[in-house]
Amino acid sequence: MRCDDLEPLIEAIADDSLQLSAEDAAHVATCANCTQRIERARSIESLLSMREIAQPQAAFTHAVMARVVQDRWKAERAIDLGFNLAIAAGIAVIVVAGAGLAWSLGLLSVTIDVEAIVQALDTGATGRLLSQVQTVAMSAVLLTMALVLWWWAEAARD
Amino acid sequence: MRSTEHELIERCRQGDETAFRELVDQYKGLVFALVARSITNRARAEELSQDVFLKVHKGLPYFRGEAKLSTWIYRIVINVLSQERPDLATASLDDRDQNDRPRVQPAADDRAFGDLVMKDRLHKAIEQLPLQYQVLVNGHYLKGMRYEDLAEALNMPMGTVKTHLHRAKRRLRHLLETEYR
Repeated sequence: MRCDDLEPLIEAIADDSLQLSAEDAAHVATCANCTQRIERARSIESLLSMREIAQPQAAFTHAVMARVVQDRWKAERAIDLGFNLAIAAGIAVIVVAGAGLAWSLGLLSVTIDVEAIVQALDTGATGRLLSQVQTVAMSAVLLTMALVLWWWAEAARD
Repeated sequence: MRSTEHELIERCRQGDETAFRELVDQYKGLVFALVARSITNRARAEELSQDVFLKVHKGLPYFRGEAKLSTWIYRIVINVLSQERPDLATASLDDRDQNDRPRVQPAADDRAFGDLVMKDRLHKAIEQLPLQYQVLVNGHYLKGMRYEDLAEALNMPMGTVKTHLHRAKRRLRHLLETEYR
């Protein structure tokens, strides 16, 4: 019965953080089970104390710093992408709003002249291109504006 | 917090890479030793130790200095190990949940104790312990880690740390008496 009582205390006895009472000491002295348990616990204690302490490789700090830089670069790329998308969305909103405003003020009207379209389709490539000059010019202006905005934002960030 | 530690943290927060390099140099030994004692694969242990410092780098702006820097870093180590070994992180520490009694009569012949093979068995047995026990057993026997550090990192009172350490070693003894004979 005393062996079971001592069982939860074996490790504390082995690492000397618990002193046995005279009664328990007398039991241990005559009990092979308890003596062996304590010896095993002391062996484990000793092995744990003697375990090797692994050292990181010499380039460990360098590797950490490289990963920090890589992480920062990834974060900056994500910010750049978000910024560019925001700019594109902003431009799209401005264009749509401008067109909407012009249309509501009667400055812009959309008419579909089916006959003219058919005629345009009948003409050669030059004719088709000429009919799209306005659209191409508007697109070029918008693209230039977007590039200028992007360049300005990059310059301001640096 | 010591003034030098405070200064180091402040310099790191200001983006001083030299300061962060100093911080890594200061703690890499303990962090790696602690991780390597739980993760057998050395390359993986290196990678996880680097992850610890990346988390430190990201978390420094939010570190309020209520705990010591070392305690905070040990907590990150425990988190990283928990993510790596979720099975052990959630393992019960309650002795009643475990078949913790020796299944072999302790008096049985056991000549293997004390020999070199025992080290390998011990290592395998430690790997079977719940993560908190592993951190206790691995950390307690590392030079430079004190009871107080472990108690704070594991968010346990000092007395509980000692109790859990004894329980961890008892479970180790039982594992060595049964599974790893």
